[in-house]
Order: sequence, then structure tokens, then C-alpha cells
Amino acid sequence: MKNLASFLRHPAGVIGLVILTGVVVLAIVAPTLFPVDPWDMVAAPFQPPFDGETWLGSDMLGRDVAACIAYGARVSLLIGVSSTLAALAIGVTVGAVAGYFGGRVDDFLMRFVELFQTIPGFILAILLVATLGPSLTNVILAIGAVSWPQLARLTRAEFLRLRSREFVQAAVCQGQPPMSVVLRHILPNAVSPIIVTGSLMIASSILIESALSFMGLGDPNLMSWGFMIGASRSVMRQAWWMSVFPGVAIFLTVLAINLVGEGLNDTLNPRLSRKARGA
Amino acid sequence: MTDEPLLAIENLSVSLPRGGDRQFAVENVSLAVRRNEIVCLVGESGSGKSITAHAVLRLLPPALHVAGGAIRFKDTDLATADEGAMRALRGGQISMIFQEPLSALNPLTRVGQQIAEAIVTHAGAKLYRSELDARVVELIAAVGLPDPPALARSYPFQLSGGQRQRIMIAIAMANEPALLLADEPTTALDVTTQKQILGLIRKLQAERGMGVLFITHDFGVVADIADRVVVMRNGCVVEQGTVDEVLRAPKNDYTKALIAAVPGGRPPTTHSQALGSDPLLEARGLNKVFASRQGAFRPVRRVPTVQDVALTLRPRETVAIVGESGSGKSTLARMVMRLIEPDTGSIDFDGVDFLKLKGAQLRAMRRKVQIVFQDPFAALDPRQKVGEAIARGPMTYGTPAVEAIADAKRLLARVGLKESAYERYPHEFSGGQRQRICIARAIALKPLVLVADEAVSALDVSVQQHILELLAELREEMNLAMLFITHDLRVASEIADRIVVMRRGEIVEQGETQSVFGAPQHAYTRELLEAIPGRSLFGRPHEPSANVCFA
Repeated sequence: MKNLASFLRHPAGVIGLVILTGVVVLAIVAPTLFPVDPWDMVAAPFQPPFDGETWLGSDMLGRDVAACIAYGARVSLLIGVSSTLAALAIGVTVGAVAGYFGGRVDDFLMRFVELFQTIPGFILAILLVATLGPSLTNVILAIGAVSWPQLARLTRAEFLRLRSREFVQAAVCQGQPPMSVVLRHILPNAVSPIIVTGSLMIASSILIESALSFMGLGDPNLMSWGFMIGASRSVMRQAWWMSVFPGVAIFLTVLAINLVGEGLNDTLNPRLSRKARGA
Repeated sequence: MTDEPLLAIENLSVSLPRGGDRQFAVENVSLAVRRNEIVCLVGESGSGKSITAHAVLRLLPPALHVAGGAIRFKDTDLATADEGAMRALRGGQISMIFQEPLSALNPLTRVGQQIAEAIVTHAGAKLYRSELDARVVELIAAVGLPDPPALARSYPFQLSGGQRQRIMIAIAMANEPALLLADEPTTALDVTTQKQILGLIRKLQAERGMGVLFITHDFGVVADIADRVVVMRNGCVVEQGTVDEVLRAPKNDYTKALIAAVPGGRPPTTHSQALGSDPLLEARGLNKVFASRQGAFRPVRRVPTVQDVALTLRPRETVAIVGESGSGKSTLARMVMRLIEPDTGSIDFDGVDFLKLKGAQLRAMRRKVQIVFQDPFAALDPRQKVGEAIARGPMTYGTPAVEAIADAKRLLARVGLKESAYERYPHEFSGGQRQRICIARAIALKPLVLVADEAVSALDVSVQQHILELLAELREEMNLAMLFITHDLRVASEIADRIVVMRRGEIVEQGETQSVFGAPQHAYTRELLEAIPGRSLFGRPHEPSANVCFA
């Protein structure tokens, strides 16, 4: 409750939260707002925005740009959240094991993490989707697979810091088994920076997804913002609206998530935030 | 001693931000420091003694403001002087030394250069390089460091704690200050080093006729160094006067209580039952070498921390392990807890070889030896309720939750807290209360051995006394054997049956408390005893009435 109140005192965070809520609501009400399939032709092709039967114009095949953006919000948010969850599952587990056990286990796992970090993330994602086939699950897996090393390193650093703390040693002396020490004492004290990084990771996942769809590697059955920009790039000079509106949608969503993430950072890690508060 | 004060603080009040536990950090404080005298500002944590000293140089944290009063240095009012004038005074006419010399020195600059910087900052005319170097070497020699030209070229991390503090003093002396503010300058140092630093400050003060405002919490240090004493409590001055008046015939009740609480003066705690005869815990040949890798192709650095240590502990016995920092006493305690695995050796504990146990057997044995750590702020999980921290241990060993919770509440009451503390979080408690919680957590498992690792060192002296009393009571109630790790010989003398003196990982002397303190055999033990501050007033441990005349 105290955290919520102090988050609400953070203006940028509140702005981000408002925009993000807007995007989430749009994603939820998309089927009511636009009852037809976004892939269907509903108007003449190349209709400019703000006149005629569509709000934001129509594309080369007469699809409603506004409907596409609303349905695209569902895909973007779904992929953003689930690939971050996947990255959290892998990253936190690997980082926790490495940080808690240390020594050889840590050495081995960190070399493995570094292996992933040396491969450019986006190229690995392209490779994975191209090999496994463009489907929703594969896109989520590919994005998760390139995002987890960062979380693993963060979790490991937090675990290393906390595991030598006296309250953790006291728990060991109390006879608590390792699993209980990790779940009750180390993880709860490490969770704030993980939440912050995770929230920012949703934004970067959305960007990777858009880039994959732009290259035609998105799920072909799902309407996505990246796909819209990719498909309309050849007619950008005649029909700006086809790429600008989905572009604005990506921009606003990513910005909103980053603002919320920063607000969370200032709320949950007050000592690390840029604005030093009086002691 | 001239009568005209060098520094006069008159009715100084410093306000705290709203929502603090009191309105003023410092309220109506008046004190004076004359030329050629040392005034000790003494008080417990939160008494406002540091704030008062920081206010002199206007180094207050941003949330605190001088609300009233005047600070006169010579003819300047420091409370209203402009920033330019303050800059000229800081490090010039008024210098300050701090508690932690490692964080006060720049780690990336050679110490000679840091001293030179202090000179250059305040030099009116441009100095020649050779002149500056000569001055730096002279200052390093003045603070009693060996081979000044070589030392000037070293970095802070290459020096010991005492050497760093000497460098800090050299920096403070660089511009021949009239007034030196010393904020707990020896608190972070070992007792033998502390003695040297106090001697150095005394000597420099006498040579230069400086006024010194010396802040400390330790009445022993006060007795050794002060000409006059100011006692503070909760932001107010409760008593001031010459050192003899205040320490030998205190008028204020609080001062009396503080002086009475200095450990070592009270009779040692006694046992209601005889000690057991067969050893409960017997460690043999313990060795631990810490190895740190310094990169793939460089040799591993090995630091032997504990060397061939043997230790026995009988049922109900209290053994104090004393030594300075780096003597390996904490490592020894952690090896007994199996928080650190020794390289070699054995520990026979309650009939089994403790070091050979693994997994479930080890966990079953762990409950028999519990620990209380030094820092009560780090030893409790900030996200766990106090009661749960206590009840969790017995629950791990299969005690039903209802029973464990009832037990935890009973223990909280036993260590002197309210039962309602069960539902609260650690940050709601003071240091002394937290240490009580840590003790409750340790004894909840009904251990046979309690390890107290500097358990009272971080506490104020009056709180220290109560915690020691509590530990002594619990020892009798629960038939505990205690391994009491401390650097404070006075504390050790109050609680221990036997003393083990460690130096650089080895035991140099051990024996009954009376004989070790009464007739120390080893030169190092004698050195430690000599270095205890305030011996002239408080006497040696086990020699409560000191009638030595004041020098």
C-alpha cells in the first residue's frame, strides 16, 4: 500500500500507467469495437484517414487500419508479457542456482550465459524463428531465449550479495533447508530489481516481436503492428498512415512501459534511484 | 590555557525534518573550546554529538537546519558566515577527522598527493614542487609514520587502519589549524592502535596549542584524553565540567548511569550450578587458509586465517575469545557453526564428529549450536515478521505451528519485549531490541552452545549492560555453554569463565579469567591489557576500585 502511494506520487510513472491502461483496454475491447476479422476487406483500398467509413484509413487490401491496430495490441501485449515470463523463469532459476551454490556451478553456468551473450540477440531470435517456424509459441520462445541472460546475471549478483548476509546465515543455522532459505529469505529481498528489469524487458520484447513481424517472421494468423509496417513500407510515400499509426502505437506502448518501469524502480529501489532523497 | 574561548557554541538548536521522533536534533547546546585544551563530547548514539560537530563546519545533511543560536570561532559567527568564508576555514583554521579513514581517503590517489592537495587548496601564493614535497614529508613524519618519502607514494589500500588514520591526521594538520574536530576517530580501530592514535592527538595538540573537540561514546577514551567533558543526551547537554568533576563525581543521574554501565567495573557474573566436567565441544587442529584467485595466470593468494587451533568448551561454561581484528576469532566461531568449512581439524560436539556430518544429520545437529551476530540490523530479514523469525526454527524441526508461535511469544516476553512484537517487522525496533530478538531466535531452538560473535559490540554502553545481563541469566536458565567472541576485554572479564587470546590466527594464551587478566603470561596479552582506554579511572578488569591518581 505504501509502495502504491509512493508510485502515484511519481508523475512520469502515472503518465506511463495511464497510457498503458489505454493500450490494455484497447486490446480487451478490440472484438467489441471491431466485430469483423481484422484481415477482412471492409473498405476500398488506400482510403486516407479521418474521412469515409474508417477512422484511420484502409490499407492496400482495404483492411481497416484502426481495427488492425486494436487487434495488434493484443498480440504485442501477449507476446511481450509471455516472453518476459519465459525469460524470468529461465533467468531467475539459472541466476539463483549460480549465485546460491557459487564455485564450480557458478563458473559453469556463467560461461553458459556468456555464450548466449556473445551471440547478437536479434540474429539468434531470427534464426530460432526461421528454423522452428513462425508460430506464436515459437516467437515467444525465441524472444525469451534471447532475453534471459540479463536476468540471470542480475539474479546471480543479488544472490551473491544476499547469501553472505547475516540473516541468511542465521536461517541456515536455524536448520532451514536450502530451498526454504532461498524462497523465504533470499528471493523476497532480491525481487525488487528483478521486477523492475522484468517490466522494462516487456518493452524490449515488444520491439523484438515488431522487428520479427516486420521481416515477415511473425505468426501469419495474427495481426501485428510490426507486420503492418512491414507490409506497407513499399507504399509509404503514397499512404503514410499505413505505417505511421502502427509506428505510433509501438512508440506509445514502449514508452509507457518504460515510464512505468522507471516509476517502479524509484518506488522499489529508492536508494538506487537517480533522485537522491534526503537521509 | 587562556580563558578566551576559541570556539563558542551558544544555545545552538538544529531542527529535524517534520515527522522525526523529536523536533530538534540538537537543542540549546552551549559549550566552549579554548586554546590548548581537549573537550570531549560524549553521549550514546542519537544524542546529537556528531550533529553538533558537523554544524560547526556547516556539514549538516540537507534535511537539517540550524534553527537558532550562534557558533563563534574567534570573531566569526559560523552560523551566518557566507560559503566562501566557510570554505577558507574548512581544512584551514578548522580541520576535521572522521571515524572511518578508509572511506574518507580517495582510494585512487597516492596519500602524499592528498596531503599536498590540502596544502595547495589553502596556500595563498604558488608553492614550488620541492617545497610542497618537503612539507608533505614533514607532516608524515610528524604523525609518526616510518619512511615518509616512501609512504607518501603509497595508496590508501596499502596502509593499515591505524596508518590511514595517521594520514587523515596529517591532512588535518596540513594548515596548522587552531581547532581540530575529531568525530569518533578511534572507534573503528583496534585497541592497541587506538592507544597510539590517542597519544598522537594528545602530542600534536600540546605541541601546537590546538583546541580539540573530540567526539566519542567511550568513557575510557574520555578518561585518557579529555581536559573537559560535555555529556549529551537526546540533543541536550546534561552535564559539563572538568574531566575529574564529571567522571569521578558526576552530578547528573544519566551521567552516573553511563559511567556505571562501563563494563569491567561490576563483579563478574556467577554460575548457580557447577560447570560440567566432560567437554561438550572439543575442537582440535583447526586450520583455515583463505585462497583468492587474482586472475587466471597469477598465483593464488593464500591468507592463513586460523592456524592449528584447539578449543574445549564444557557444559555451562562461557569461554571468551578475545583478539584484535584479523586475529581469526570470527572465522573460528563460524567454523564451529559450520558456516565456514575448516581445511583440516575435527570438532567433537556432543559425542559426534560435527565436521563429518552431512545433509539431514547435519541439520539435526545444527539446532544444538546457535549464533548471535554483531550487527542486529543485518542479522534480521527485513521482510520477515519478528515472531516468524523466531518460530521458524522450531517449525523446521517439526514443532507444530501453534506451539512454535506460543513459544515465540513467550520468548519475546522473556527477552524483555512485548508479545505484540510478534506481528511487527525488524525496522520498527531499536538496535538493542533487535539484539534481544536475535537472542530469542537463537534460544528458541534450545541449543546446547550459544555463540555470541561480538554480540554487544555495536550497542551503546547502557544497552550493552542489559544485553550482557540477559545473556548471563539465560545461560543459567537454559544451561547454555557460551562461546563469546569479543575485542573488548572489559566485556570479556564480566561474562567469561575462561579467556582465549588470539593473535594472527593462533591462540597465544588461554586460562581462567582471573589468572589471564591478573597475571598475563604472554607479552601480547599484557599489551592488550595496557591498551584498554581509561585504565586510570576504571582500573583493569577484575580490579574494580581504581585509586590511581589522575595525571
